[in-house]
Amino acid sequence: MQTNALIRQRNQAVWKYILLPLVFLTVALLGGLRVGAESALGKQNFIFIAPPLVCLILAAMLMLLFTRGRLIVLPDWLSNDFPFLTNTANVLTLLTVFAASAQALNSVLPERGLLLWLFAFFFLWTLWNNLFSEFDAKRLLRSLAVLFGTAFMLKHLIFAAFAAPETSIWRRITGLILEGVSLGSLDVPNFAPLTGYISFFALVLYVVGLVGLLPSVEPVTQQTFDNDEDETIRRLSAVISRLAPHEQELLREQLTRKQIAAEAILVETKNGE
Amino acid sequence: MQFKIIQISGVLLTVFYAAFVIWLYLSQPQTIAEISTKATVAVGTYEVDTAKFNEGLRLFRAENYRAARDFFAAADSEKRDAKTQFYIAYSLYREGYRRVLSVSNDKTLFQQALEANNQVLNLNPNFKLDDADLKLKTPAELKAELQQGLEWDWNVLNPGNLLRERK
Repeated sequence: MQTNALIRQRNQAVWKYILLPLVFLTVALLGGLRVGAESALGKQNFIFIAPPLVCLILAAMLMLLFTRGRLIVLPDWLSNDFPFLTNTANVLTLLTVFAASAQALNSVLPERGLLLWLFAFFFLWTLWNNLFSEFDAKRLLRSLAVLFGTAFMLKHLIFAAFAAPETSIWRRITGLILEGVSLGSLDVPNFAPLTGYISFFALVLYVVGLVGLLPSVEPVTQQTFDNDEDETIRRLSAVISRLAPHEQELLREQLTRKQIAAEAILVETKNGE
Repeated sequence: MQFKIIQISGVLLTVFYAAFVIWLYLSQPQTIAEISTKATVAVGTYEVDTAKFNEGLRLFRAENYRAARDFFAAADSEKRDAKTQFYIAYSLYREGYRRVLSVSNDKTLFQQALEANNQVLNLNPNFKLDDADLKLKTPAELKAELQQGLEWDWNVLNPGNLLRERK
């Protein structure tokens, strides 16, 4: 039993301190990578675009949202009780989450022009609203997946088709609509289709990383409870604190009901005696 | 103990990978080949492609300056070698030089030569060429010659200029 616990602990440490930062740093690497459209010489070149300031602001809001949505439970990451090395490793992992968030946004936001500001405004609006909503970690993840997915579709399918040099029917339709709406102020750079694939891969990795941030719930058995009562209670309280407020309320009601029933049985038993 | 090893490896791996990502965004390589070339510059093992340099030198001596420059540029793609950059500047000077009327020197080529020469000065201010065929041995001499070629004064109309030699 103890061996299983040790293996689980080791695997969790490998995931948290090695694989998770690697996943997020790969997102940070790919998020700003574009592949230029084929030149006259038939060459495609890499373009590394550093995240604009608006991406950093949005990433900071995302970090707040992760904390509020209990995807990142700060006391589990940083504490005075942890050794220096643990705190350092945790801070580094959190920094990689921030970098990946900024670059994931960079990946789905248009590079410049009116579209960049429109997208940035919608992201800002959505995240700002989310900051004041009731969220639990899983719902937050679903909401973010939809948000990033929509932005990805708009940028890499619709606007990319608009910027494509070949005159397809789709390009003509989007071109007519967008040029008309924006009074010709659109500035969509033309990238190779590979850029869309890279962005897709980066977003999938980002979501995988975020899912990996979900706090793992270790099974609590009578034996673990007997072995270390304080630790088990601490773990259970941490799990409860991650629930949404209405779920906590529901749990409280259930427990109270059970306690009342148990007390009633106890009273009945005593009366019977 | 094992937990500590995992944490230390995680920290080291994260720091190195993050440094690599930041370096990529700062150096902006455009191809996979450029990534490896820039990496050699970063770790200090960058070397000029000798075969291309020698081919450039052969073309330079044959006065085929444009082709020579292509080979020099390919030999020192990162512009890190003072000697190669000096030859590039020299080839630009020679191609832009006009004997009859110095005022008609190709100003674009001379400007490019000045830029390449400044690169030599940045790389090695004390650079001195060991080529007996060329008269201008240092970037300072080449710079003076280029600046003189770009300036206009009445002396450019001096018939004696016909006798001046290309350096």
